[in-house]
Amino acid sequence: MICMTTRDHTEAPPPRAAMFRAGFVATIPIWLGAMPFGALYAVSARAAGLDAWQTLAMSLLVFAGASQFTAAGLFAAAASPITIILTTLVVNIRHLLLSASIAPHLRQASTPLRALLGFQLTDESYAVGMRRFANHAGDPAYQLGANMSLYLAWQSSTLAGIFLGALITDPVALGLDLVFPLTFIALLPPLVRGRARQGAALVSALLTIGVALVLPGSWYLLIATLGACAVGVLLERRGAR
Amino acid sequence: MMIWLTIIGMALVTFLPRALPLLVPGEPPAWLQRWLQFVPAAVFVALIVPPLLLQTTAAGRALTFGPQIPAALVGTLVAWRTGNVVATIMAGLVVFWALRALGVA
Repeated sequence: MICMTTRDHTEAPPPRAAMFRAGFVATIPIWLGAMPFGALYAVSARAAGLDAWQTLAMSLLVFAGASQFTAAGLFAAAASPITIILTTLVVNIRHLLLSASIAPHLRQASTPLRALLGFQLTDESYAVGMRRFANHAGDPAYQLGANMSLYLAWQSSTLAGIFLGALITDPVALGLDLVFPLTFIALLPPLVRGRARQGAALVSALLTIGVALVLPGSWYLLIATLGACAVGVLLERRGAR
Repeated sequence: MMIWLTIIGMALVTFLPRALPLLVPGEPPAWLQRWLQFVPAAVFVALIVPPLLLQTTAAGRALTFGPQIPAALVGTLVAWRTGNVVATIMAGLVVFWALRALGVA
């Protein structure tokens, strides 16, 4: 599965492998939230007419839960490829901000590694990594471990959904759709330290509700994030005076 | 074939925004870094709020107040006190199931 070789056993375990392992393990609790939805995605993609290989390929190549669900719904509604691809872009464009904000912490990684880290960047593994970077203890290997951990969980739950689809009960009926916001609530505290960040979080909540009630789709994500960042910058500037 | 091409297109438009900022060489300008430090708090709140407070119906979205709100409040308390992901999720779910068993939902 994961290859971690100890090149020099006279030294302590190589920090990279230890970092990778730490990131991998720190993300395991999040499997709980991701795996029911990986399985349910596979069930809805199969129901929408994708074959088993296409269902797995989407998880392997796209690896973005919300947009995979949306795409399954659009495939079922016989939407055009262009519609599906553009919708995917709109749902996933927020990653631009995540990626830009984590980039300064990953500068020492090689270009291929940064490309891989980008390919596997998700909300969840980003939150796990940023908690660590906020404590100045982050590392590209830690982020890779977190990303790989979630990637593995997503692929195995997709496979479970493909093979055991009939046995999957509706997570929504069990209240498991609550797991998604609860996961982020659990990851949030270290990321909202300080007045300016708390102000930004409050503005984000208000803008999210306001915009989501008015505009369709997931535009609220981008608008609320940008608005909240603007307010955060203003609050910080005022505090600095 | 159309399905395969669609999946590849989806993969491309997902990869680009995820990877481009990581692949641009050099430091981002200082003003951008000032903005970006608020991204984690802003994005996660924007992901947390809709499943708790908004309901999607045929007519569009509407505000809703159900047992998921006390569940999230208890989850927030547990997150603040313990920082433990599994404890937070379980506490929230237990409150949600209990309220539903009591017929609140």
